[in-house]
Amino acid sequence: MTATVNQRSSRVAAWSPAKLFSARNIVVLVVVVGVLIFTPSVVGAYWTRIFTICTIFSIAAAGIALLYGRLGLVSLGQVSLIGVGGWITLRIGHATSLPFEVVLVIAAIGTGIIGVLVGLPALRLSGLNLAIVTLMLAGAFEVIFNVTGFPNGGDGFLGRAQGGVLQQPLARPSLGTTDPDYFRYVVVVAAIMFLVIGLHLSNRPGRAWAAIRQSEAGALAAGIGTVRYRLWALAVVSATTGVAGGLLAGNAGLLDPISFKAPASILLFATVLIGGAYSLVGAVIAGFLSQGVPPLLNAWGLDGNLIFVLLGFGMIQAITTAPQGIAGQLQGLVRRIAGAIAKRRSR
Amino acid sequence: MILPFVVAGLVLGALYALSGVGMLVLYRTTGVLNFGYGALGAMSAMLAWQFAELRMQPVLAYALGILVATALSLLFGFLAGPFLATVTTLTKATATLGLALILLGVMLFAWNDKARFLRLATDTIGFQLGTRITVTQIICLGLATVIVIGTSLYLRHSPTGTSMRALASDRELASMLGIRVRRVELLAWAVSGALGGISGILLSSQTRLEPLFLTFIVIPVLAAVVVGRFKSLVGTLVGGLVIGVVQAVASAFPSTSPFSNATPFVVATIVILYLQRRKVVTIEVSR
Repeated sequence: MTATVNQRSSRVAAWSPAKLFSARNIVVLVVVVGVLIFTPSVVGAYWTRIFTICTIFSIAAAGIALLYGRLGLVSLGQVSLIGVGGWITLRIGHATSLPFEVVLVIAAIGTGIIGVLVGLPALRLSGLNLAIVTLMLAGAFEVIFNVTGFPNGGDGFLGRAQGGVLQQPLARPSLGTTDPDYFRYVVVVAAIMFLVIGLHLSNRPGRAWAAIRQSEAGALAAGIGTVRYRLWALAVVSATTGVAGGLLAGNAGLLDPISFKAPASILLFATVLIGGAYSLVGAVIAGFLSQGVPPLLNAWGLDGNLIFVLLGFGMIQAITTAPQGIAGQLQGLVRRIAGAIAKRRSR
Repeated sequence: MILPFVVAGLVLGALYALSGVGMLVLYRTTGVLNFGYGALGAMSAMLAWQFAELRMQPVLAYALGILVATALSLLFGFLAGPFLATVTTLTKATATLGLALILLGVMLFAWNDKARFLRLATDTIGFQLGTRITVTQIICLGLATVIVIGTSLYLRHSPTGTSMRALASDRELASMLGIRVRRVELLAWAVSGALGGISGILLSSQTRLEPLFLTFIVIPVLAAVVVGRFKSLVGTLVGGLVIGVVQAVASAFPSTSPFSNATPFVVATIVILYLQRRKVVTIEVSR
């Protein structure tokens, strides 16, 4: 007796109106549009600036989540890649008069290339080895950023304004010159980056990555080019993280090496674990946890340093009892509510 | 003219190695690579400074600092140990990042990141030997050597050391042979915490007394452990000394000095990549 199983191949176009306008996608769309329109006027100028930074970091968090949740790789150096993206953006932005969007694309490509080049020798590594190497690289990048600094309108390859020359911040994109406009700009770019990552996850690369995570030998046996797909994952993650760096550079027009130290990478990784590494909602939560909670603690009159304690306990809790993170718990809640509604309706 | 830098490098390297031994003892016994190790040392140093500021006898203050580091390490091992025994090496290491963050947060909350100095009584006593060498520096070098040799002998010859090595090979098998797994593990946590406390105090007197800096000194220490291929105590000592000397000598020249702090990262990355190329070392505790 044979059973027929309906299989969906990735090669068959899976686009259909019904799928495109699923309840989830509509909710996401409504939320994004709502955030775009209302956030700046509702939360005020100060919090608009903070939410801008949160959104930028959620892009980097999505990259960490992809590596950890889908490939099982721990990368403790992602904030350095934000720095790389920011450096390229400032350098190109000062050297040319290209529109900011083009500069962002160049930064994405440049950071992607650097990420892959750095990752090439680390391809054999996984598990603890990779975590250690990325931590070491974060330390090395910290030293490099301290030496080179970030371009601020000066001459030469490093673009440092020295001596009596005045620092010159990079101009914001013409579409987002004011704080609220730049917030909307960042949210739109972040949505595009999330879409890029989401499409990767739900299509062939995502399945290949999951297979590699389960067993590299098994993935090879199934005909997956493991080297190719691992490199592609590195490229995608580095490129999106580079865009985050570009947005961060565009926000203030200047960057400081002090923002790209190794501890920042560890903190961001902790927030991803707490937010939930298996969904993009988790990345949004992680962005807020890493950049939004410290000012929130300050606003409540608490010491911002307590964030470390909070994240430390949260991380241990996430590892021991809630591997899906806050996002997983939220999804469980939504599912339970939906189930209850469905039950009542069928009655 | 280069001699003072070599001496400073040897001392710093010896301290990396001293910390590395503590990390290694814990890793070999429980499989936990403790990223919170630097934070334990930082806590011990900050407490020692605080007690000394409160006019306590310096020796008593240092002892209290070391005691607290030991107790914290033991507490974490006691609470998290049973869970950590069931998960992969990577997850174990990730969990200790949480410990590092908690301790760091508490320290930054209690003491801000202002510049402080921990002056040991032995810092003022010194003698000329081409360059000025203080007794603290002699203690650092001597202690690291003694601890490395002592720990090697202890692991090889004492019953507890044998149990530790048995645990490193296979935890389940060791427990079936009647080894009190929990007790040996807690001993490893305590020893590791004490070593972390001692090296934290010495490190803070030789470098800077800042919670953030001392917490993330775990990265160069990790580099020394990597050179020791995660198993050799002597290799860790040699690795620590080499890293320390290269770093200090590099800082002597204007052209290389900005990059001197990157020495541990470069060395560790090269060593890991090289070892992986030959696939000689498996970092997982073999089961």
